[in-house]
Amino acid sequence: MVKRKLGALEKVEADLPNLQHKIRRDPKSYIEDFRAQHYQYESHREIFMTAPSSTTETGLISLRELIDFIAHVADCYPEITKDFPQQLMDILSQHHLILQPELREKIVGSLVLLRKKELLDSATLLQTLFPILISTPSKTLRALIFQKILMDLRQANAKTTNHKLNRTMQTVLFNLVTSDRTSSKGLWAIKLTRELWKRQIWTDAKAVEVMKEASLASNEKVIVGGVRFFLGGDKEREEMEDESSDEEAIDLGRVKHQVGINKKTRKKSRAVEKAKATVKRRERKKNQPHPLNFSALHLLHDPQGYAESLFSKHLQSTKSKLNLDQKLMVLQLVTRLVGLHKLHIMHLYSYFQKFLTPRQPSVTSFLASLAQASHDLVPPDDLEPLVQKIANEFVSEASASEVASAGLNAIREICARQPLAMNETLLQDLVMYRKSKDKGVMMAGRGLLSLFREVNPEMLKRRDRGKDASIGLKAGERKEKRFAEQEAGGIEGLELLEKWKEEERRKRRAEKGLASDASDDEEEGEEDNWASWNVEDDEDSDDSGDWINVQSDAEIDISDSEDEKDGPPAKKAKSSESSSDDKAEKKEEEKEESAEAKFSKLATTRILTPADLAKLQELRTEAAINSLVPGAKKRDRDDPLTAEEIEGLAALSAGKATREERIAHAKEGKTDRSEHKSITAKRKERKQDQGKSTTNKEKARKKNFLMTLGKAKSKNKRSLVQTRAVLKAHHDRAKRGGRRGNIG
Amino acid sequence: MGSSSKKKKEKQKDFQLKVGKAKAKPDNFTDTSFKSKSITLTQQSLTLHAPSTTHQFTHHVSLLNSKSDTQRRDSLAHLTTHLTSAPTSQPLPIPVSTLLPTLSPLILDASTTVRTQLLKLLRTLPPSDVEDHVASLMPYVRAGMTHLAADIRVTAVDVLSWLVEIAGEAVVSCAGGWIKTLNCFLSVLGWHTEESSKWSSNRAAFGKAGAKGKPMVKVLGVLAEFLEAGIGEDDDDEMEMEVDGKGGTGTGTGTGGGGFPIVQTDVHMVPKSAQPYVYLNLFGAPRDEEGEMYETREERFRVFKGRFLVPVERGLESARQDGGEVGRASSAVSKVLKEARGVDWEG
Repeated sequence: MVKRKLGALEKVEADLPNLQHKIRRDPKSYIEDFRAQHYQYESHREIFMTAPSSTTETGLISLRELIDFIAHVADCYPEITKDFPQQLMDILSQHHLILQPELREKIVGSLVLLRKKELLDSATLLQTLFPILISTPSKTLRALIFQKILMDLRQANAKTTNHKLNRTMQTVLFNLVTSDRTSSKGLWAIKLTRELWKRQIWTDAKAVEVMKEASLASNEKVIVGGVRFFLGGDKEREEMEDESSDEEAIDLGRVKHQVGINKKTRKKSRAVEKAKATVKRRERKKNQPHPLNFSALHLLHDPQGYAESLFSKHLQSTKSKLNLDQKLMVLQLVTRLVGLHKLHIMHLYSYFQKFLTPRQPSVTSFLASLAQASHDLVPPDDLEPLVQKIANEFVSEASASEVASAGLNAIREICARQPLAMNETLLQDLVMYRKSKDKGVMMAGRGLLSLFREVNPEMLKRRDRGKDASIGLKAGERKEKRFAEQEAGGIEGLELLEKWKEEERRKRRAEKGLASDASDDEEEGEEDNWASWNVEDDEDSDDSGDWINVQSDAEIDISDSEDEKDGPPAKKAKSSESSSDDKAEKKEEEKEESAEAKFSKLATTRILTPADLAKLQELRTEAAINSLVPGAKKRDRDDPLTAEEIEGLAALSAGKATREERIAHAKEGKTDRSEHKSITAKRKERKQDQGKSTTNKEKARKKNFLMTLGKAKSKNKRSLVQTRAVLKAHHDRAKRGGRRGNIG
Repeated sequence: MGSSSKKKKEKQKDFQLKVGKAKAKPDNFTDTSFKSKSITLTQQSLTLHAPSTTHQFTHHVSLLNSKSDTQRRDSLAHLTTHLTSAPTSQPLPIPVSTLLPTLSPLILDASTTVRTQLLKLLRTLPPSDVEDHVASLMPYVRAGMTHLAADIRVTAVDVLSWLVEIAGEAVVSCAGGWIKTLNCFLSVLGWHTEESSKWSSNRAAFGKAGAKGKPMVKVLGVLAEFLEAGIGEDDDDEMEMEVDGKGGTGTGTGTGGGGFPIVQTDVHMVPKSAQPYVYLNLFGAPRDEEGEMYETREERFRVFKGRFLVPVERGLESARQDGGEVGRASSAVSKVLKEARGVDWEG
């Protein structure tokens, strides 16, 4: 055997990892050695500080290794190493520009390690690292520090929200963004905030404020970063949440089973414990109430001022250096704010005027933004010329079908938000396009028609109004909505809750054997409700005695009260209710009228307990799932309107699709399926996937022929006695239930 | 049949194709030819004249950073012979101030031969030049004294011994030279805590201890020298001062040279040392207590008394109990201590 070559370190046994290992096991005995190494570190630090930029490795052990060593065992000797973190921070903050990359990374890593060992608090660490993050020219260092900062913030907020730390950090970021609006350093604030927002660590208004200031900066990158956050940050957050919620499910049964089979080691038993803990934690998490997170757009303090300054700074001013894409993004944000908060910006609509021509690049985005910016409080005078212009520029027989359909769609979207922007002649003109030969245009025209059948059928020609609308007009219940008229709102899904409660009560009464309709012992039911004040009424139920019962005599007779009818006049059904339901609605009009009046009372006459609210949420989601038929999706007001929606079915009007396109289209909805296989093969595969073994039968079938040959031959040669013995043994075994028996 | 005739035919064909041709390349043939713009011969020297001694000297200085042990050792040897052979009146080809920064990291060198050679070289350097650079050398010495490897510790102690010998005052009074170095001594001797200094203590010594006992004796000897330089009786300086004082007040003729009104002129003049105001630390980082300069004997003794007297005495006691060579070596240290105390009482 060749003699092993010894490295220099081995020759002299200058083996810090070895010492580290020994110190970990017995810190007290090795204190002298550690002290020596600490002096060693001090001397090396001294040498280093006299010439920080020198790259010469001093001897066997470099400062880097010593730092690593001391950081790893610092928690064993807090007294000796009390200055150590501060020294590292000093080195890093003073010399990070000239340090060797390896040493630099080691120092950062050691600082984080010290933080983990609680020898350093988060605030100090972040205050050291953050200035370096924004000032260092090294890309790798920036990446490292960013990752470490993020990790530290996540860890600090892991158990409970560390408000103090978050606040200081947010203030630092805010100052970074606001101090120098022209520099691109604000990008780091954006990156950090966005990441923490995505992970739901920061969900408060202060984080939104940072982004708001970023979007009002003068540097394009910073602006775009801020604007992007408002346009996509919440979606990102939701996606992240979905992702984390459907993490790989742990099959506890399987884990336990595996442990039963395999060799029992401490490691494996620990794995089982861990799996149990994870499952338990997930269960608990599932039962927890959903954290109520507002979207960034809702958390803005002064949306009007913000939208105005965005508009004037980036869109109106001639000095803005943004390119078209970036401007469109800003416009999207501004219009979204306008639509969401029902703001009014003076020159916004006239600003659109010059962009509304088919030759304008990405005009559909402009159209979408315009539609987004219109809401029912916009004066129709502002919108009417725009609608007129769209009609003139886009919708004509001469224009291409895509253009016409985009124009029609845009007009429909605007009118859906503000119907008063349309005048009668134009509408009747546009509705004629439903007769177009082109499919896209036809669909767009029909869309417009059906919209106005609902919101204002009077503007349509008689024959276009349709049956339901005509009947509605005749009955006088379909009235044109006046400007700024508000519908009385209610609590969404309240009627569902009412219904559910009614059913519950009926069930209870049925159990007791009483008449299901009688409504006398209301008090008892009330008691129950109060008892179940909380979602899980374990401990709180007792001290709910302080609560004063609200007299609920007004809703005593919920199911069939006659005097309710001449109460307040019935409110109109929700305007957005689809027309197909109208017929059914008419039939039960009477009934529903009274019902609605009652439902509105539920919220006014009794306090909704958290338990009620939870149930309400549940019912609402259930209803939402039930109504989730493809195509019949209702638009949420928070969702942005995209250019694709304006383009609409223009794809249909693009002439005949090629074969490939048709195949792709046909395949779109279908899930991909694997090759054909027999059922047995599939079963076998599934079994293998689950990590299960083969049956005895299968094993016997698969056994090598030559191995079975000997037994088969010997069987022939058995004597009668032997055969008898074998058969008997077999019989006995069968009775017992196999070789191992039927025990247990 | 058919196949064999077929094979035959193929063989025939092969033969026809192969004759008069170059041998076919094997499948795994790798083309190793390359193109180059120029060819450099590493071995050949194109200079006509032998390099001058100065040039050789600088060259060998640059080789001190070489990766190979033997190269470093040989270069050191070359430098040593150069220094010893050159007449002392002639200045060095490279001033000590530039030579020392390349030499000092070698105190921590892994190879023993390099370190011994380094020690030889250091001893040949002119002492007066070294004196001004003690402060920059001391961190390396201290790093060596606390090194994991015992051999390096011994070398560092040797270097310190040499330094104390040629510039004792500078060593003990430079920044960090007193407290930090004493700390290192305690750590080398293992005298820091009470348990660790007991002879029966079950101290798990890490690293190779080197030759047992021997290093301890050496360290104790150097400690004695070091303490002597730091807190021993300043025979020459103090005497001189006293003479000055007496002369100034008494006869009016002293080194001050002036008459009656000008007494103790030296005290008011700019000191003659190389860096007179370095103790003000105008340009360096702020120093803590350990890194501070302790320039006078009184200061040093005060610090020593406050911080080190107890552990040193405890350590000496246990060393004395060890007996043998160590015990004898410890008695030298005890003697220095005793004298220092005596001086302190007098003062």
